[in-house]
Amino acid sequence: MQTRKATSFSYLDQWRRWAPLAVLIALCILIGLFNPNFLSTGNFIRLLNSAAIPVVLCMGATFIILMGSIDLSVEGIVALTAVIASLLVANDITAYKLGLFAVPVAMAIGGLMGLVNGVVHVKLKTPSFMTTLGIGFAGLGIATAILGGLTVRIADPTFRYLSLGRVFGIPMAVWIALAAFLVALTIQQRTRIGAWIYAIGTDEVTARFAGIPVEKTRILVFALAGLFYGLGGVLAAAQFGQGHALIAQGRLFTTITAVVVGGTALSGGVGSVVNSIIGVFIVVVLANGMVLMGIEPYVQQGVQGLLIIAAVALALDRSRLSVVK
Amino acid sequence: MQSKTAARTYTQLNRRSMLKGLAGLSGAGLLGGTFPMPAIAQETTWTLANSMRSLANPYHATFAKGGEEFAKSIGAKYEMLVTEGNSEKGVSDIKALLQRTGGKLIVNVDPNDSPDARVIVEEVKKAGGFVVTQWNKPDDLHPWDFDPNYVAHMSFDGVPNAEAIANALFGAFGGEGGIVALGGILSNVPAIERKLGLDNAIAKTNGKVKLLDFQPADWNEQKAFDITQAWITRFGDEIKGVFAANDGMGMGALEALRQNGLAGKVPVVGIDGIDAALTAVEAGEFAGTVAWDPMWTGAMGLAIPYAHVTGKIDITKEPKEHREFYGTGVIVTKDTVAAYKANPPKTDFNDLWGKATGQVQYRS
Repeated sequence: MQTRKATSFSYLDQWRRWAPLAVLIALCILIGLFNPNFLSTGNFIRLLNSAAIPVVLCMGATFIILMGSIDLSVEGIVALTAVIASLLVANDITAYKLGLFAVPVAMAIGGLMGLVNGVVHVKLKTPSFMTTLGIGFAGLGIATAILGGLTVRIADPTFRYLSLGRVFGIPMAVWIALAAFLVALTIQQRTRIGAWIYAIGTDEVTARFAGIPVEKTRILVFALAGLFYGLGGVLAAAQFGQGHALIAQGRLFTTITAVVVGGTALSGGVGSVVNSIIGVFIVVVLANGMVLMGIEPYVQQGVQGLLIIAAVALALDRSRLSVVK
Repeated sequence: MQSKTAARTYTQLNRRSMLKGLAGLSGAGLLGGTFPMPAIAQETTWTLANSMRSLANPYHATFAKGGEEFAKSIGAKYEMLVTEGNSEKGVSDIKALLQRTGGKLIVNVDPNDSPDARVIVEEVKKAGGFVVTQWNKPDDLHPWDFDPNYVAHMSFDGVPNAEAIANALFGAFGGEGGIVALGGILSNVPAIERKLGLDNAIAKTNGKVKLLDFQPADWNEQKAFDITQAWITRFGDEIKGVFAANDGMGMGALEALRQNGLAGKVPVVGIDGIDAALTAVEAGEFAGTVAWDPMWTGAMGLAIPYAHVTGKIDITKEPKEHREFYGTGVIVTKDTVAAYKANPPKTDFNDLWGKATGQVQYRS
């Protein structure tokens, strides 16, 4: 949002900024007309609950996409940290009983995986696409090797409280996601790293000339994303009360889709964590709404695909695109 | 430690294959099936292998273990081949192993996709090895058309098992009311069979049980969670039970119910018999599950061909229900879960067809 050029101010430009939100509101009205239950408090809380983990994951992924990079290691890191967290709290396989101390440990491991992503990507100059794909597979591989295909069951009610507990009627996971969002927003708006991310994403060469430590920032941002994925892994384990290597299946696609649908450009420099929150809700509301409206399962995927394209097409700022890849 | 052992087997294998040279090649082709081979001489020359999608799910991990246990019992070399959901890799790994063993290979394969089975069977026949397939194969591909190398095809019948577990679900809520159902990937044979079994069970209640909605959750726990949440909004109290075509999706549904204070109040059923589901049955949150026996399929897919190559049986003379057959699914409910856990199914390597329950049927 800060990157909007003063010279290109126009109604179209204004509209574009609000397009994702407009899509979200339109969806809500449409679904509400079909099924008034959609607008009930109960369903609102259920939507928040479904959105909690995707929001946490998107906070990490947004920064990376803002830099013009991509992170495909989401599923690998979430699976590994979920498995490790499950094994560190009271469970049916190991004797550890770290309770909530498992949370920082799992997040640290996520951060470490992210750090490896960043270091390999920057130092070996391998494209982030391949680097993160590789690290993601490594994460899945380690998770599989640790458990040998088994599932570890969590027997620690305090740990499960992270998902099942309620404060003011709202699930704990939602509060945690909110906290993650506030942290991400602070980083984006109030720190130098936040400004540098936009600078790198907009034009890395200029950023370098301006004296921004591009390499360091990149490494740091990948590590930061890893921390968020680690938290996502913790929440996934708490939600299902178990850890296994396939727990994160499908998370990567939702995460990237939500970020892009929210209006953050894959080319970098444009977007924000606020956009990603809207993106997550578009994806979650759509999935919820199609079941509520009773749309045929065969048709659902098609509708989903069309709406994603529509949302991106509306939000895209074409003035900055000289080449489309 | 594991990788070290594997490396050692590798080098031994290469040396032996080289020594075998011409003799081995001609021998495998000639002796194929017409002459039962003398048991003593063959003990260690066959390599056994199980091929499956991944080791990250409980079913396939146990399937691989079953093969390993059998190989250990006869002192044979054993390899695990993982397709990672990639048909190309699945086929080429088997081809490579056929080459390395000079055709002296018994492979028990769960093909990644039905068409792969034909390619694998043809390759194995060409090399003079022996193959058993699991779950997936084209309907017109039959073991008896590739005698003796295509030994058997094993599967589990989704229709009666799904019907039985659906009835267990109906019983849990008194046999009258609405249910919702989570299906697998729409084009999968097990997904289609399990849906058919559910439909049969519903039809037999004469309208007492109503299917409120059916959604495919693609065998995915998370998807099942989100869909179940939406169902709670859409149908509320109307939902008397949840049918899931596998336990993973059932666990996702159960956690969604738990978030809404309904766990244990709205019964769930699944299929597969994973540990988490058995625990949920004990806790009264699942009304039941169907336990397959991957230990048995993993072992028998090697034991039957091995019995043939060692001359214990002549597979070409076995009836069709010994060539294409279903295994036994065990319905585990609250009443039977304690007994099932205390006395899990055992696998007797010598009882080749003891758990077979009839010839595979083609419904389409």
